[in-house]
Amino acid sequence: MKLTMPLVTLLTGLALGVGVLIASMLSPANAASANGYGATAAASASGAVKPAPASSTPGGGASAAAPATSATTPATSTTTPATSTTAPAITSTTAPASSTTAPATAPGTAPAATASVPKADIPPKADYVARTDSGGGAVAISVHGGKAVAYMCNGHAVAAWLKGTAKAGKLELTGKNGARLDVSYRTGKATGSLMADGHKYSFSAPLVHRGSSGHRPPGLYEATATVHGVKIKAGWVVLPGGSQVGSVEYFADSNVAPTAQAPVLNLTTGTAQYDGVTLVASLISGLTGSGF
Amino acid sequence: MTAQPDASPPAPVDVSLGLGKLVVPSLIGGLVALTLGVYGGLHHPTGVVVNIAGFSSAGYVKSWLATVATFFAIVQVGSALVMYGKIPRVTAPSWIGRLHQWSGRIAFLLAVPVAINCLYGLGFQTYSTRVLIHSVLGCAFFGAFTIKMLILPKRGLPGWTLPLAGAVVFTLLVAIWFTSAFWFFSTFGLHR
Repeated sequence: MKLTMPLVTLLTGLALGVGVLIASMLSPANAASANGYGATAAASASGAVKPAPASSTPGGGASAAAPATSATTPATSTTTPATSTTAPAITSTTAPASSTTAPATAPGTAPAATASVPKADIPPKADYVARTDSGGGAVAISVHGGKAVAYMCNGHAVAAWLKGTAKAGKLELTGKNGARLDVSYRTGKATGSLMADGHKYSFSAPLVHRGSSGHRPPGLYEATATVHGVKIKAGWVVLPGGSQVGSVEYFADSNVAPTAQAPVLNLTTGTAQYDGVTLVASLISGLTGSGF
Repeated sequence: MTAQPDASPPAPVDVSLGLGKLVVPSLIGGLVALTLGVYGGLHHPTGVVVNIAGFSSAGYVKSWLATVATFFAIVQVGSALVMYGKIPRVTAPSWIGRLHQWSGRIAFLLAVPVAINCLYGLGFQTYSTRVLIHSVLGCAFFGAFTIKMLILPKRGLPGWTLPLAGAVVFTLLVAIWFTSAFWFFSTFGLHR
């Protein structure tokens, strides 16, 4: 076949495609798979900062910015706005003016400002759920000993898993993509706000009381599964009264996991049907310690 | 485009003969689309793809590349309309052919790394309507583009073949953009 310009274009594209494919295969990001909320804050704090999930670019040469999305590393996530200087426009909305001490990196230093709160008012184990003040979302927070887990979703594209330490009635939890939660919690309720996907959600979440009536109690539910080769992670906030808000993330380990509405969680069986696969949800509870 | 469509190609002596020239390019294009789809389906998606400095995530890199590619695709349609004299009171300037060629090349070469990232990192997926449509059209796009490139230098084709091929390629790319970058920006916000 004669080598015509359109053919050259095609072959150039083919060569470029092969080049990018090889670059992807050699990318160090593949060796260090982005782990989400699985890594404990303490472990990541003591360990080395994991490789930025992209240090090779198709063009070569240019060093990739450590994306702000590797938010499970406390060193970067607790001060996300400051460290992601290479992408200032991205997480600037998440910048809280009061960039307080990173809880995970300095576990020994108790903030002096909060020392005045009577210790009796701070439950060592507690679960809180509530709808957010706006945005149609819901949030669940579980505190167990010195650790805390939170989840927020809006039943659509927004879902954020956060974790961190609980100290002196304050939670400063972080998650992927600059997700951040700042909350004060007492025996009655937890109040504060959460940043997810660049939006701020405020809430005042009452303590969950476990009233058993054959149904699954209100709280935070999680299910993971592999559906057609795709790792999915679903989360539901079940509110007092039985209503629920749930989102499901696809490629749950990736930095920006596509997110959609979760299937309805059956509160009698604790399961949900997704694309022919039964998801078995487990309760994450600070009260019982399950999921911690 | 090396072929100047308005350079009055010789009238096809036999229409069926002209159409016969489409067979091999169409088969090759179909093979390209099929290969991409099968690879995307068989390869275990890593969920991790290369990133570029200055972007918050690979999703944004891809969305912006796709958006720029779509912009050049719009230039493609505009320049093609001018070349075919479909815009009233606009005579084709001498550089319109080069504009058409280069906008097409740039759009294609921008789309390639996006596609590789999709196929390697995410694979051919069907978990929602948007994703299914995107997967199918993404593979079809490169098949259609291959066909268009292969029939471009051929003489004696019916006059409607190139515009049709161009329209299919453009429509596919725009549909791909809507099911990916548009969705991504509207979901995660319009920034880098």
